[in-house]
Amino acid sequence: MTDRLSRTVIEPINPKLNVSRNANLPHSPGIRIGEYVFLSGMGPVDPVTGGRNLGPIAEQIRQTLRNMAHMLESAGSGLDRIVKINVVLADIRDYDEMNRVWREFFPEEPPARTTCALQLSNGNGVEIECIALSGA
Amino acid sequence: MALKREAIEPENPALNASRNFNLPHSPGIRAGEFIFLSGMVAVDPVAGERAPGTVAAETRQILTNMAHLLESAGSTLAQVVKVNVLIYSMLEYDNMNAVYREFFPVDPPARTVCGVQLSGGSKVEIECVALA
Repeated sequence: MTDRLSRTVIEPINPKLNVSRNANLPHSPGIRIGEYVFLSGMGPVDPVTGGRNLGPIAEQIRQTLRNMAHMLESAGSGLDRIVKINVVLADIRDYDEMNRVWREFFPEEPPARTTCALQLSNGNGVEIECIALSGA
Repeated sequence: MALKREAIEPENPALNASRNFNLPHSPGIRAGEFIFLSGMVAVDPVAGERAPGTVAAETRQILTNMAHLLESAGSTLAQVVKVNVLIYSMLEYDNMNAVYREFFPVDPPARTVCGVQLSGGSKVEIECVALA
């Protein structure tokens, strides 16, 4: 019998990026289970105002991935520790643009990924979630 | 001690869609005791090109290729824990399920299915998490 894995909530160091709390939503920014970190879906939130940056899709994706990097680093992980990432677009026609931005953030041995388009809340053009390993 | 993270690849290079279609993702990542696969679409294992067909045909091709990818990494379909199936229309749900059943006859994995917009004209895309 192995020990039970621990379960802890993770939060961004920058409180403006704690959308779960700021928008009063019933989810946690992320949960760490043992050595794995599971993040809620993230959108293009401005790290200064806490509002949404609903600009061009490339910039929405960059903002979301920068916020994801911050969230993971707040939990002792990082973009290079992501195992699986799910990208949800509001419009599948943004697929090629998403791929162009992707290479800026994941130049080597990129995570496994699935992409689809469906209806998103709050007018977001993109929402991204991931599973990562903790530890650098 | 941090868990190890490494990319996995299919033994058949024609099925490495990440590389062959020049996409910025890995076919799968092994992380500790788990394997996480990218969403797979129907690809012909000989030509290495997309193999568009009916939902039934695409589902069969994807699950055949998924078995190969998992086996290339020392796992199998029987080790799959969770599957996500994306289909272009929920009206095709039964057509997907009929084929799906053949691949997971006993103790099938946990699964979620939803109807979404897929890229590249695919009708079906399937991903999974398996035990390594």
